[in-house]
Amino acid sequence: MAVDKKLPIMIVDDYSTMLRIMKNLLRQLDFENVEEASDGSTALAKLKSGQFGLVISDWNMQPVTGLDLLKQVRADAQLKHLPFIMVTAESKTENVVAAKQAGVSNYIVKPFTADTLKAKMESVLGPF
Amino acid sequence: MPAPAPRLDEAQDYLDSVITSLRAMDRREKQPLVGILEYLSEYIRSTRGEVAALRSTVGSPVVLAQASDELEEIVHETAKATNSIMSVAEDIEELSRQTDDTVATALQNAATRIYEACAFQDITGQRITKIVRAVQHLDQKIRLLAGLCGMEAPAEDNVSLGENQIRTGDESLLNGPQLAVAASSQDEIDRLFGA
Repeated sequence: MAVDKKLPIMIVDDYSTMLRIMKNLLRQLDFENVEEASDGSTALAKLKSGQFGLVISDWNMQPVTGLDLLKQVRADAQLKHLPFIMVTAESKTENVVAAKQAGVSNYIVKPFTADTLKAKMESVLGPF
Repeated sequence: MPAPAPRLDEAQDYLDSVITSLRAMDRREKQPLVGILEYLSEYIRSTRGEVAALRSTVGSPVVLAQASDELEEIVHETAKATNSIMSVAEDIEELSRQTDDTVATALQNAATRIYEACAFQDITGQRITKIVRAVQHLDQKIRLLAGLCGMEAPAEDNVSLGENQIRTGDESLLNGPQLAVAASSQDEIDRLFGA
């Protein structure tokens, strides 16, 4: 089944520049229904109050990190199946393993290209 | 309430008074002990001098605070510049809709490359934030050392030279961005995912 480009996507990063980059790259992929959050707590509150189809989150945020957010999403009965892509500069194997164990759907290392973003989204959502 | 930590200036005063008392004693066997105590006293004096010199130059609170401020300013300024660059890229994308397909595609690809390159701000910002934290930590330690040398009281009661800086659990995973030698590539991460 083709991916619905109206899919609501939540992007989470404490750097406003990164949110803008991500939003622009998603728009180029025709995903315009994008909601932003600058920290894990805000993101979780928004996720609980809306119907999202994908989360793309940074890891290194305070006080709630991307990993905390992922764990809270996976622990929530309503959100536990939500696709979750971690986009982070934390590139050590132990980080990837920890994220995988917490149930991350895919993992993108910063800095990344538009092609990488598309490929990882396709691996989670299906081809578009 | 715990007893206040012993200060080096007080220790030196105590040593000097013991040395004076020993010198006044009329016993030959005192000499090796006086020699050792004089050495210790001189060692403490020299250490305090080094800390005072550090405190008045690169380790001064003013210099370290300025260094932190300068670094934070770099983050702020690069964010501003990056946003300006992105605004231009967005304008280029907007204008590309008014041209023929070939030119429009080329302009959109150029805008994509600009967006990708702008991610440098996030990476450098994170690296600079790590340096700012290190500078602040250094400042804290030098303040404490100066306090122990009797130059001024420690700035924060809850800080000690033995403070455990080792992070545990999920917090220990927050170390990025990794330097190139320690970083995993996207391909290596994909392999871990079995992709």
